[in-house]
Amino acid sequence: MNLILKKDHLTDLLNTWRGNHEVYAPQSLQKFTHFLPLLEGSEPVFDQAHNTRIPPKALFLPISEALLKFTRFGGYEQVPSQKAPRLIFGIRPCDARALTLLDTVFKQERYTDPHWQTRRDATVLVGLGCHEPCQTGFCTTVGSGPFDRAGLDAILTDLGEEFLVETLTEKGECLFTQLKRASDEQNARAMDLQQAARESMPTAFEVEGIKQKLDANFASPYWEEISRSCLGCGVCTFLCPTCFCFDIVDEAQRGERVRNWDTCMFRTYSLEASGHNPRPSRVERTRQRLSHKYSYWVDQISQIGCTGCGRCVRYCPVGLDIRAMLRKAQQLPSEVLHAK
Amino acid sequence: MPDIDALKAEAKRILDEGVVEMVIGFRAGDTPLHPQPAFFKTAEEVDALVYDPLCQNNLAAYLTRFPKTQKIGMLVRGCENRSVNALVFEGRHPREALYLIGVPCEGIIDWRRIVENTGEEVISVVEQSGGAILVESKAGSFTFEKSALLHESCSRCIHPNPLSADVVIGEARPEGDPALARKEVVDFAALPMEERNAWFRQEAERCIRCYACREACPMCYCEECFVDHISPRWTESGATPAGMQGWHIVRAFHQTGRCTSCGACERACPMDIKMTYLTEKLNEDMRQKYSFEAGMDAVTPPPFSTITLDDKSRFVI
Amino acid sequence: MTETPRIVLFQCQWCLFSPADQDWVDHQLPKNILLVKVPCTGRINPLYILNAVQGGADGVMVSGCLPEQCHFKTGNIGARRQLEAFADYLHHIGYERDRVRFLWLDLQDRGIIQKELAAFEAQIEPLGPAKNLAAREFETAGGANA
Repeated sequence: MNLILKKDHLTDLLNTWRGNHEVYAPQSLQKFTHFLPLLEGSEPVFDQAHNTRIPPKALFLPISEALLKFTRFGGYEQVPSQKAPRLIFGIRPCDARALTLLDTVFKQERYTDPHWQTRRDATVLVGLGCHEPCQTGFCTTVGSGPFDRAGLDAILTDLGEEFLVETLTEKGECLFTQLKRASDEQNARAMDLQQAARESMPTAFEVEGIKQKLDANFASPYWEEISRSCLGCGVCTFLCPTCFCFDIVDEAQRGERVRNWDTCMFRTYSLEASGHNPRPSRVERTRQRLSHKYSYWVDQISQIGCTGCGRCVRYCPVGLDIRAMLRKAQQLPSEVLHAK
Repeated sequence: MPDIDALKAEAKRILDEGVVEMVIGFRAGDTPLHPQPAFFKTAEEVDALVYDPLCQNNLAAYLTRFPKTQKIGMLVRGCENRSVNALVFEGRHPREALYLIGVPCEGIIDWRRIVENTGEEVISVVEQSGGAILVESKAGSFTFEKSALLHESCSRCIHPNPLSADVVIGEARPEGDPALARKEVVDFAALPMEERNAWFRQEAERCIRCYACREACPMCYCEECFVDHISPRWTESGATPAGMQGWHIVRAFHQTGRCTSCGACERACPMDIKMTYLTEKLNEDMRQKYSFEAGMDAVTPPPFSTITLDDKSRFVI
Repeated sequence: MTETPRIVLFQCQWCLFSPADQDWVDHQLPKNILLVKVPCTGRINPLYILNAVQGGADGVMVSGCLPEQCHFKTGNIGARRQLEAFADYLHHIGYERDRVRFLWLDLQDRGIIQKELAAFEAQIEPLGPAKNLAAREFETAGGANA
């Protein structure tokens, strides 16, 4: 049963939610948007940009987080996990699906990351579908879409003067108890919008068989060709909603053990204590990045590790486009015979 | 507008004649706002050469990844030529193994300024003869004066002409006024200290330590950057205030006497952080105290490499 | 240290020719001054100064020999340009230039270091505690970006 939320009632609803959650929504930061706590009197900002630069994964796996605090001779104490209830308003489907992918990393049979899990448990996600999907996004190509419901507790469709609200979980239902039902006309309009949005997105590359192509061509000169202009910075990985690699360091001067985002694109990421580096150049590291997303994730959880948000395409300083790389990969031979 | 045909012809010539093994330039991007650095190995590949104001990267950043014996051709604008000079001075590549195709530069346009006005769904960007930029986007058609779109570093560029290229293709442009570069520094310095500090912190706190600024900079080529050191631990590696501020302070400082004001660092940043106000302060100091600008030639040592008792110094006693 | 103003003194081990002076620095330095002894001021990487500033130093003094008297011939000249540029640079973004002082001592000098430190302390006292760049002292991990 879908509900209707009039846009001019949104502020009141957000205020109600703020009574027992810390509410996060995209807000202006310089000339783009960023998920920040929504303060009294502030409004979420959706018109500035399609999506935030930093994905909301940062709200669950912060760029830097202290794990332990220690003093020189005084032992250490664990930093408690953040369990204050939070509500993230306006998360896009690509980012929400990405959180479900990251769950498979941080919540495993043998071990569950307590910080990740505590935050996930304490947070409810209210999504906003993309009725005008972005040019650089390719969510539909990789099995997601502008109204993908994976990972969301509720999803909103922008109908102009109002939002159509679909609650997807119990947590989501609890948030929207005072709303009126959507009419048949509103439901139909929403469905049309959602379908049109999906159909407006071109297929960015053929995803069928991509894993096999990447695996078979491990030794191909293709990797050198596509990585030539790569600077080896961390923009694509840090802005990626499914990247999760981290580094743990002891900051002795501060007395904290800190977990920081790390990236396989840095030389030092795979540099071993002996001095040997199994990924000595950009070539191997680019191969690793693409293969991790489109082959190794599939090995692990039978899903592609990319939700097509398009941030890597939009913000790469040298304009590298993963969609073009994968189109090129599809042109490679399916089987490569190796001379012995 | 650069004479693209003449550029292609020259690039093809030096490849065909074996003067170089590779020419570094740009090709069209897969998205309209971002042409990509390209590495042409044959004359045929050069057909894909593109050279327009959206070509925002300093190509000298790629020089340090090739063996010093490799003969390399590169299209260079004013700042890029100076970066190459600075790299040659530092022994990163012998000048004899380089062939620089110089292009007097009319400035790089900042894609962010386009998107601010046209929305993010840009379809095409075309420079018209006469200097206007025509942008088609989902939100409509827009025409801009190039000067309104220039990246800040280009608005205050002093040396748009390549100084030591093997050939220059295009008409020389008038030198810029150093007073423009100085004005930025002086105006900032005139603000109250609390304001300057607040600005500095505000910019630094968006940093995500992706190091795009470092990788885009031709002068940052250390195999082990100071941030990678554990012992001594020069700076924190995370997105903590001390770490982010320390990163910005030191990265800029390590460019003292080496920075050519190209602005590639700022353009690379995914969080739109301003950082040239730091490097420009240091560049201006080097101009004022030592009459030095980086990369004007490949033989003059930068101030920090110079030992002399003649310094006009203000040190106590 | 809790006594203020907190000063970090980078001292070249050669610049105090008189044993009395060196002894004073080694054993009678006021409690608000932290001594970092270096083999030559040329050894001072500007990042040491940054570390002191980020750790909350209200003032940084660098004490070394006159250029013509450097034990390593030209060590301290190499330091001069870098350290001066760095101090000006820190002033640009929030650490008052007066909080950094360079002291170049003649081998003939006696009793200068004590006077200079006292004068330096008097100079920085009215500036108050240096909070602007003391990022390590006042903030912890967690990041503004989360």
